[in-house]
Amino acid sequence: MSTASKTLDANDARLSPFEGGGKMIAVGFGLGAVGLGGAAALGAGAGDHFEGFLHSYLVAFAYFLAIALGGLFFVTLQHLTRAGWSVAVRRLAEVVAGTLPVLALLSLPIVIPTFLGNHALYHWADPAARQEDHLLHHKEAYLNNTFFLIRMVVFFGFWSLLARYFLKNSTKQDETGDPEITTKQQKLSAPAMILFALTLTYGAVDLLMSLVPHWFSTIIGVYYFAGAMMSAMATLIVLAKYLQGKGKLGDIVTVDHYHDLGKLMFAFTFFWAYIAFSQFMLIWYGNIPEDTIWYAPRQVGQWIPFSIALILVHFAIPFVGVMSRHAKRKTGILLFWAIWLLFAHWMDMFYVVKPTMIIEHGGEAGMLHLSLMDPLCWVGVLGFFIAAIGMGLKKHRLVPVKDPRLTESLAFENY
Amino acid sequence: MSSAVASHEIDNTRDDPTRRAQLILGGQDFHTVTEMVAGIPEQERINRNWWFAFTLAVSLAGMFGLNIAYLFWEGTGIWGNNNPVGWGWPIVNFVFWVGIGHAGTLISAILFLLRQQWRTSINRFAEAMTIFAVVCALVFPGIHIGRPWLPYWMFPLPNQMSMWPNFRSPLLWDVFAVGTYGTVSALFWYYGLIPDLATIRDRAKTKIRKFAYGVFSLGWTGSARHWHRYERTYLILAALCTPLVLSVHSVVSFDFATAQLPGWHTTIFPPYFVAGAIFSGFAMVVTLAVPARAFFGLQNLITLRHLENMNKIILATGMMVGYAYSMEFFIAWYGANEYEGFTFFNRAFGPYAWAYWIMVSCNVISPQLFWFKKIRTTPWMMVIVCIFVNIGMWFERFVITVTSLHRDFLPSSWGYFSPTIFDIMLFVGSFGLFFTLFLLFLRWLPVVAIAEVKAGMPAAHGHHEEHGHEAEGAATHG
Amino acid sequence: MADHRPVDSVDPNNLPEYGLLAQYEDVTSLKQACEQVRDAGYSKWDAHSPFPVHGIDAAIGIRPTRLPLLIFGAGATGTTVAVLMQWWMNAFDYPFLISGKPLWSLPANIPVAFELTVLFAALTGIFATLGRNLLPRHHHPLFNNERFARATDDKFFIAIEAKDGRYDATRTRELLESTGAVAVDSVPDDSKINASLPKPLVYFIVASFLAGFVPLGIAARAWFTKSAEPRIHLNPNMDFQQKFKTQSPNPLFADGRSMRPDIDGTVAEGWLRQDDAYYRGLDADANWLVGFPQQVEVSQGTMARGQERFDIYCSPCHGTAGYGDGPVARRAAELKQAKWVTPSSLHQDYLRTQPEGKLFNTISHGIRNMPGYGHAIPESDRWAIVMYIRALQRSQLATTSDVPDSERAKLR
Repeated sequence: MSTASKTLDANDARLSPFEGGGKMIAVGFGLGAVGLGGAAALGAGAGDHFEGFLHSYLVAFAYFLAIALGGLFFVTLQHLTRAGWSVAVRRLAEVVAGTLPVLALLSLPIVIPTFLGNHALYHWADPAARQEDHLLHHKEAYLNNTFFLIRMVVFFGFWSLLARYFLKNSTKQDETGDPEITTKQQKLSAPAMILFALTLTYGAVDLLMSLVPHWFSTIIGVYYFAGAMMSAMATLIVLAKYLQGKGKLGDIVTVDHYHDLGKLMFAFTFFWAYIAFSQFMLIWYGNIPEDTIWYAPRQVGQWIPFSIALILVHFAIPFVGVMSRHAKRKTGILLFWAIWLLFAHWMDMFYVVKPTMIIEHGGEAGMLHLSLMDPLCWVGVLGFFIAAIGMGLKKHRLVPVKDPRLTESLAFENY
Repeated sequence: MSSAVASHEIDNTRDDPTRRAQLILGGQDFHTVTEMVAGIPEQERINRNWWFAFTLAVSLAGMFGLNIAYLFWEGTGIWGNNNPVGWGWPIVNFVFWVGIGHAGTLISAILFLLRQQWRTSINRFAEAMTIFAVVCALVFPGIHIGRPWLPYWMFPLPNQMSMWPNFRSPLLWDVFAVGTYGTVSALFWYYGLIPDLATIRDRAKTKIRKFAYGVFSLGWTGSARHWHRYERTYLILAALCTPLVLSVHSVVSFDFATAQLPGWHTTIFPPYFVAGAIFSGFAMVVTLAVPARAFFGLQNLITLRHLENMNKIILATGMMVGYAYSMEFFIAWYGANEYEGFTFFNRAFGPYAWAYWIMVSCNVISPQLFWFKKIRTTPWMMVIVCIFVNIGMWFERFVITVTSLHRDFLPSSWGYFSPTIFDIMLFVGSFGLFFTLFLLFLRWLPVVAIAEVKAGMPAAHGHHEEHGHEAEGAATHG
Repeated sequence: MADHRPVDSVDPNNLPEYGLLAQYEDVTSLKQACEQVRDAGYSKWDAHSPFPVHGIDAAIGIRPTRLPLLIFGAGATGTTVAVLMQWWMNAFDYPFLISGKPLWSLPANIPVAFELTVLFAALTGIFATLGRNLLPRHHHPLFNNERFARATDDKFFIAIEAKDGRYDATRTRELLESTGAVAVDSVPDDSKINASLPKPLVYFIVASFLAGFVPLGIAARAWFTKSAEPRIHLNPNMDFQQKFKTQSPNPLFADGRSMRPDIDGTVAEGWLRQDDAYYRGLDADANWLVGFPQQVEVSQGTMARGQERFDIYCSPCHGTAGYGDGPVARRAAELKQAKWVTPSSLHQDYLRTQPEGKLFNTISHGIRNMPGYGHAIPESDRWAIVMYIRALQRSQLATTSDVPDSERAKLR
């Protein structure tokens, strides 16, 4: 590349841990307490055995879990491909993935009741239902309370450990500058990627697909993954912009890094549409009741405009909006689209989770079942997510300052 | 070359985070690259081995032609297709060849967008292979239609029945997908060839050569204003070709997955077919690249690192294919549909178990050997693995097509498919057509994208002295 | 067609000057030279290199091309054309219903719409780039310079045209020499002499272009005229096969038929069916059988089988409880189908008093709107269904005495 390499001072104040992290933690916990507390109070008052609350909570939880897993995938992928350009933003992704232990805790409101046989969320969690329903009986070897708990412990344990491992080694390199650490991370990334693919897939099967336990789709893992990557890229853009607004990172994260994050975000917007279309088209074309039970309630009443809006908001409008080079290099415009797509991702999770209330729990057909608990749960989980990110930013340098490929990332220019 | 980089000169497959490995070896400058690549089509007479291979390929292609002629005369009854297996080898061969044809555009488009500079040494070659594979693929539906003089019925043209094609049929989507893919790939390939043809034109000694290469290089002068538009369009074409590659095999998978047949009707088919296509395509590129680089002495341009990178992609896509297999099996059980369950049980343990286990061992187990660096970087070993992968991918299409069909819904309609000698000769013959075209390409056209390789060399960025530093690293990902 | 005709074949003195060509050895000096020429204010000039040089656009002052907008427009056109075409052809001009899908099925139109988007955009991109670059070009004055052959190999050039307003043979040469050029040559402009295509080539192109219209003309003629001739059989071997088709005459047999009837006095194995009670539901006097034939075991197992078969074959119309309110009947009522004959309730007195043999016969051969199910349900299952119907009928009029003693205690 033609530009002279920038040199980095490891003690540069713009790269030091983020002083505002403490404020993020405080605000995050506040939001979390208010949001989840309010939602839980509303849920208790609804008198539906927390059915509405749990669905709203799952929407919010699956939303942030996707972002954290997207961050983890991004980190693993960068090591796997020996990427150079991304080093300047990799720490941010490591911090986003570092929220996974917190999300593991946040999974308890879903995992514990389900393990104890509460079927307000998962119909199959009821042992009686498994006896009566032929299909559930068939699936009992997989869909049962104990195995569900075991799987959740394994998945969240694996994700948390992997995220922590990458972060710990990366921050160790900040001190030692040992290139062997990079080699070590790269070695781990290949097997980690395989386990990640499997855990994410079965995580999506358990948390989302088994909501309608009669229904099945082989693509569900890829579907969740596509949304996860898109929203993780959007989160990285928002986070980098936020930190730069606070006087951090400076010119370390350049417009070229935003451009590349934008490209990936755009690519995964398209990829999501491709996967969503593949699933819909094959089920629409085959038109077999065992497949269409999932889509049928989504094409009635209020769900018709919602489904169409999902196509427009999640794909058609941002596709045209983010396509041009200009939109990806003007970071203000890119920030707008990142926030837009984060909203689209919420619509997607809502679309995946909420109709279960109609299919499995006798909710009124054609209704969105949108309640105050939806925004409250979202704000609540967001609060704890922000707090978790604040903890990471407060503790670690914002850029892997001694990564052997950092100079390459700094000199990086898009064509 | 200073001594500090000497070890990287010899072995550029070493993974050192502190420095990027060299893309091309042997201390090349612009002129030596030109000499190395343009020298091949400029040879006065070519080696006897080429003639031997060419004769063999043309003979097989001739057998292919004779078989097609006999097929047209006698009808598709000469094939082993029966009831219930109405889709036999022709569709298997079609999907096989289309799959092979995915690597070229993947290398030229997706790896371009991902700034994988190493693709420049192999993209020309892989794109050419793509086009020839698509040609072979198109032959099979072409000869399958029964009345081969009426193919225009597939296109939205006014015809004697005053009818239009049925756009709700996935088979028609195939016509558009493969047609578009073939057209755009061929143009993309030719577009990339223009500057290199100009190079050969400017070096040509005889009048005929000057004329021939002159016509096809369109009067290219290497003008900066031309390069500017050229590069911009190249980037956009790459961006267009990326989803196009995904769409082609997705549409091919729709041929199967829109049907309600157990084993075909599953939502993961589109991305699964795409991963399989890339898998088989790369295996074919490696299978061809290893002998070709040895034959034409291109080891410094298509280095071990290039081959190793491709092998890594083969390993990754092989894992994806394995993921799809396991997902299908899991959902076949989880879905609790007896017919789906039976189909998968029958695949693994029924009369076609032999085909199924060939598929699994070639596609899932054999690429696992690429975890070993020794196998990844030893040419003869990787060729063996890649040939196994290609065998496995042919069997994958065979398993999908035949096992789902041979157990009809009514047990009285169950059957077994056996190919006839004509099935076999047509399949073998299609390799003849492929290699005929490919050998002609090797003989007459620049097999490496000369201009693109030069643009990736350190000297192209104004770095003359500091060979082997981050200079080329910035444009290189390994 | 870079036809390198030797320059000395024409008188160089008569040629106007095309411009000056300066040669450079590497990228860095080329870029520096470009910046100097740009700053000197020239406009009709260009750099030539064997590969795209990074950063040369700024050094020359090339403004970003607007081709991307054109390509985007072409792509959007492709989408529109594809969707309109599919709507017009399948839903409007020749509507035909396929696999129960709507005439205009948007999900099914997406693959073709996508492909045409890419096709239009890609073709436009390639041809617009060539067009804006004024290629293909048969001749260029620079090709007459021998050094210039290296422009596609390893050397770098700047060419300033004499047409440029600021061009001055001496001062421009000085400028180029001052930029570090290793050589500066004056290039003659021979386009007046050499730019035209060779005559035979022109004839060939025109002839092929015209020949292209011949098949189109033939097709158009066939489109607008009628013919009494039978169609051409390109492959008679396939069109006229040596076989006898159903319903066609066959001289090999005395009766002249291709389809062979059963031989008189024979019955296919297993099709004799002499037992009237079991196969036809008749007793010895050819009245409807009361009760069940001896082959049918009245048992819990048969009853369960009957229930399963009933739910599969009968309940769609008669309903699972037998009141004639199955989903098909309800749907017909919902649609107010005029010709629909309501399925009978199995609980009307008339049906409750019919003999078992009669019910068996109705299942076998149908009645009114109900088709016969004899082809689909084997005899044993038909009898099981009859048995289950009897149980159903009794269940709807059950009294306390029908309840087993053990269960009766649980009732109030």
